[in-house]
Amino acid sequence: MTTKRIIACLDVKDGRVVKGVNFLNLKDKGDPVELASRYEEEGADEIVFLDISATIEGRKTLLEAVKNTASVLSIPLTVGGGIRTLDDVSRLLANGADKVSINTAAVENKQLISIASREFGAQAIVVAIDAKRINDKWIVFTKSGTYNTGLDAVKWASEVERLGAGEILLTSIDRDGTRDGYDYELTKKVVDVVKIPVIASGGAGKMEHFYQVFSYSNADAALAAGIFHDGVIRIRELKKYLLQRGIEVRL
Amino acid sequence: MKALIINYGVGNLFSIYSGLRRIGFDVSISNEPKEGFDLIVLPGVGSFSAVASYLSKYYNQLNEFRKNGIAFLGVCLGMQVMFEYGTEGGPSRGLGWIKGKVDKIHVDVKLPHIGWDKLYLVKEGCELTEGLNNDYVYYVHSYIAYPGEDVTYMKSKYGIEYPALICKDNLIGTQFHPEKSGDVGKRFLENLARWLRR
Repeated sequence: MTTKRIIACLDVKDGRVVKGVNFLNLKDKGDPVELASRYEEEGADEIVFLDISATIEGRKTLLEAVKNTASVLSIPLTVGGGIRTLDDVSRLLANGADKVSINTAAVENKQLISIASREFGAQAIVVAIDAKRINDKWIVFTKSGTYNTGLDAVKWASEVERLGAGEILLTSIDRDGTRDGYDYELTKKVVDVVKIPVIASGGAGKMEHFYQVFSYSNADAALAAGIFHDGVIRIRELKKYLLQRGIEVRL
Repeated sequence: MKALIINYGVGNLFSIYSGLRRIGFDVSISNEPKEGFDLIVLPGVGSFSAVASYLSKYYNQLNEFRKNGIAFLGVCLGMQVMFEYGTEGGPSRGLGWIKGKVDKIHVDVKLPHIGWDKLYLVKEGCELTEGLNNDYVYYVHSYIAYPGEDVTYMKSKYGIEYPALICKDNLIGTQFHPEKSGDVGKRFLENLARWLRR
């Protein structure tokens, strides 16, 4: 059976890697090309770039960073952030992204998912869902976690699958950057309703958290950023740990 | 050594381009087949029906190259279109160089199949398999080849076993993406370069 994937995520702003807590208080963490290659060497299965630049200039810088990174990387690279049109998708794929991750635009313009999926194949289209728990439900937020769409995250996951998404990148806004562990309940609920791979994101702080999100929630991949940048967890050590506990990973 | 990547007009060609360059290939990208290359690469982007129909325009030329012994590398969908027939995007004819068809993975597993799986050697005699047995490679696909002849040298398993590496004369095909398979992928591309130099 396919191994569980460990994905290193780089939040990129104006061409630099940054990291915040609950999507706020950004700190500089280094050069994207350097970090991406380091993670490949350490055994990461994939790299995700999330562009959080607010300006057009910043976005141009990202395209450059994608190209530079893709030319040294020999594992898959997903790029997300600010993708609005089919042209945006096309440009990123042409510059070395293997997949694109669409978030806000997917909610505002569902057609984009189906059209992009038909044009480039479902495998190239990841839909990112940022969810926040409100009472007993998880609600989809867009615009970097600032806008409440009112959509039920679990239902939305089903819908994006139907529209042609090839994968779901599921982030818990409540857990993002806290290192308190993934939102296992949310992840399990989404994994159980869709038949496409689900990447769990938000909250990884200890190796145990990865074990739990794979064993309890049955996520296909787990993504983390801060703990890798800060060296709290080394990917190779993490994979050895998981393997010892019976989770099949690539080593 | 010179490689030509055929650009069908969709998707990411940059990864395979970079992957081959890292091994030392002099790589070009073109919308149509051209003379003067040691290797023609059919990349793994797009859907069967669209790519098969695109390539059918150049069938005579491609077939001429094949008969003259030019090596072909088909990656993922690029391998699949070498078969006779495919169902993705509606039934359509492939290049027909290898007997058999391409169809969806018909077992109850998550699709697309995305991730790393092990390669298993199932047949000796193709030097491209060297040093790859039991190693992980990267897959992204929902369709697999069902060969009608004995061309499979390595397999992987996802619900069912399927061809991962096929060799037939000067045709090489991989269901996995060597350009995205880390060190193991590099090893395969090095094998390919060595095989071409012979």
